[in-house]
Amino acid sequence: MRIVRSTFRKIVRRTASWVTAGLVAGLLALVYLALGATSQAVSARPVEQAAIKALLTFPGAYGTVASQLLDTGGLFALAFAAAVAGSEWGWGTLKSAVARGESRWRYMLATLLALVLAAGVALIVVYAIGILAAVGGASLAGLSLAGVSDSATIAGVPSLFVHVWLGVAEEMAIGFAVATLTRSQLAGVGAGIALFFGEQFATLILPDVVKYLPFNAASAVVERANLAAGAAPAALPPDQATVVTIIWLAAAALLVAGATERAEIGS
Amino acid sequence: MTTALAVHGLRKAYGARVALDGLDLEVPTGTVYGFLGPNGAGKTTTMRLLVGLIRPDAGTLEVLGRPYTWHDRHRLFDVGALIETPSFYPFLSGRENLRAVAATGGPVALGRVDELLTLVGLRERAADKVGGYSLGMKQRLGIAAALLSDPSLLLLDEPANGLDPGGIVGMRELLRQLAAAGKTVFVSSHILPEVQQLADVVGIVAKGRLVREGRVEDLLASSAVVRARITGDEAPGAHAAAAARFGADAVAVSAGGDGTWLAVRTEGSRSAELNQVLAQAGVYASRLEAGSDLESLFLELTGEGAPNGGMGIGGVA
Repeated sequence: MRIVRSTFRKIVRRTASWVTAGLVAGLLALVYLALGATSQAVSARPVEQAAIKALLTFPGAYGTVASQLLDTGGLFALAFAAAVAGSEWGWGTLKSAVARGESRWRYMLATLLALVLAAGVALIVVYAIGILAAVGGASLAGLSLAGVSDSATIAGVPSLFVHVWLGVAEEMAIGFAVATLTRSQLAGVGAGIALFFGEQFATLILPDVVKYLPFNAASAVVERANLAAGAAPAALPPDQATVVTIIWLAAAALLVAGATERAEIGS
Repeated sequence: MTTALAVHGLRKAYGARVALDGLDLEVPTGTVYGFLGPNGAGKTTTMRLLVGLIRPDAGTLEVLGRPYTWHDRHRLFDVGALIETPSFYPFLSGRENLRAVAATGGPVALGRVDELLTLVGLRERAADKVGGYSLGMKQRLGIAAALLSDPSLLLLDEPANGLDPGGIVGMRELLRQLAAAGKTVFVSSHILPEVQQLADVVGIVAKGRLVREGRVEDLLASSAVVRARITGDEAPGAHAAAAARFGADAVAVSAGGDGTWLAVRTEGSRSAELNQVLAQAGVYASRLEAGSDLESLFLELTGEGAPNGGMGIGGVA
């Protein structure tokens, strides 16, 4: 636990942590406020105006904000996790820990766990900012805010949040594993993002296969809790997606443990 | 005397390049051991093997009196190490970095971090981010990190790197104090005068093998040289006369920018005797020098060439 606590403190002290969370929160707020501000634009077609209003209308907005958080936050979290794992190799701090007799796999998995815990805290704050932005957007669009206090939806928010967290945690684990294999911040971030977008492009060609891949599976898990938005036609059923996401998370963690344990640490 | 560290037949190759080729060495407990070698001789590879960063291809290691393998990581709780460059998080302060290091490996006593920051002279800068530290400050922080668990065995790879003269003197005194307290200090370096002043025992490694090991004073005695400056015409006669008295293997002649020198491997106290031998052979030296240093021995053993002035031994140049 002391490594988890120590890593959590390191994450808090790292400027990149705040920049990453700030960017996600800023993008989320920008999207919802911009949607509200443009919903009445004369250039927007009725279909577009209806879609924008559907996104901003509460209580459905609780789900759309969560989906948006996973889509945007997941990618940033992947890059951040890759940067953290890569820096352990690049800065030689893993080397120092191993030279002190620390268990390699335990050190790296504790670091990943601390990242996931920190992401959980950040997601709560960013989700709250997203909801506030959605409220602001709805006000700008002149929509009723009666649904904001819908008790049935609010009761489902913790479950929704847990699914977002699971999806983000899985994407972080993938980024962390890629950076562990590349042993570099830059290569880890680059390869992680390339994998993310590669999977999205592959959806167009092999949707029945790609739906089992990590990022698509994570997305389907969130959509299970966000039935109002509807899942993509090729997406896995929510229960199956949850299982597949957990398997990917575990596989990434095992890969991190195995690769670190076997690695010859040269510098 | 017990052995703090022992290595037998250690071999490690990186692809086709052999870094260690059957290295053997023994480090007595409570000594400062200077591990000398030119770049690429295998010093850092040995250090990495000793702390489990890499696996040996062959050979055995003993750490603190017991066999040590890749999986015996708990043994390292009693070992402090600074391998290559100090490794820290640039966005954390010196104090925070030491606390992060203390969260790994063996237990660290409460208050130890501040105690060590004071010891290495970084107390004033402890709250500053390490990203703004000079190389010397990072090196001092690295030494503090190596001392966190109050280890019995300290492995330091080029610890004087980046230190200013005051820092080097301070580090030397600190390491001597640690050895006096019964701890074993294993220092790799290519800065020979530093090791000469610091170490009790020296091991010289070249091309992955130990080529000489012994107490510093013994090695210095074996590397004692008396040099006589002569003319080029006098060289054959001088060589023959000196070889007849001191032995052919101990005598060499070399010519350089500062003239022709006859070098005889013998104690400085025999310089008058050499002068007499040369005079009897009709050779009158214009200058006579006696000395001994680790550098000459090092260069000779590692095949790195003779130092300026041609102190090396090995025949008529």
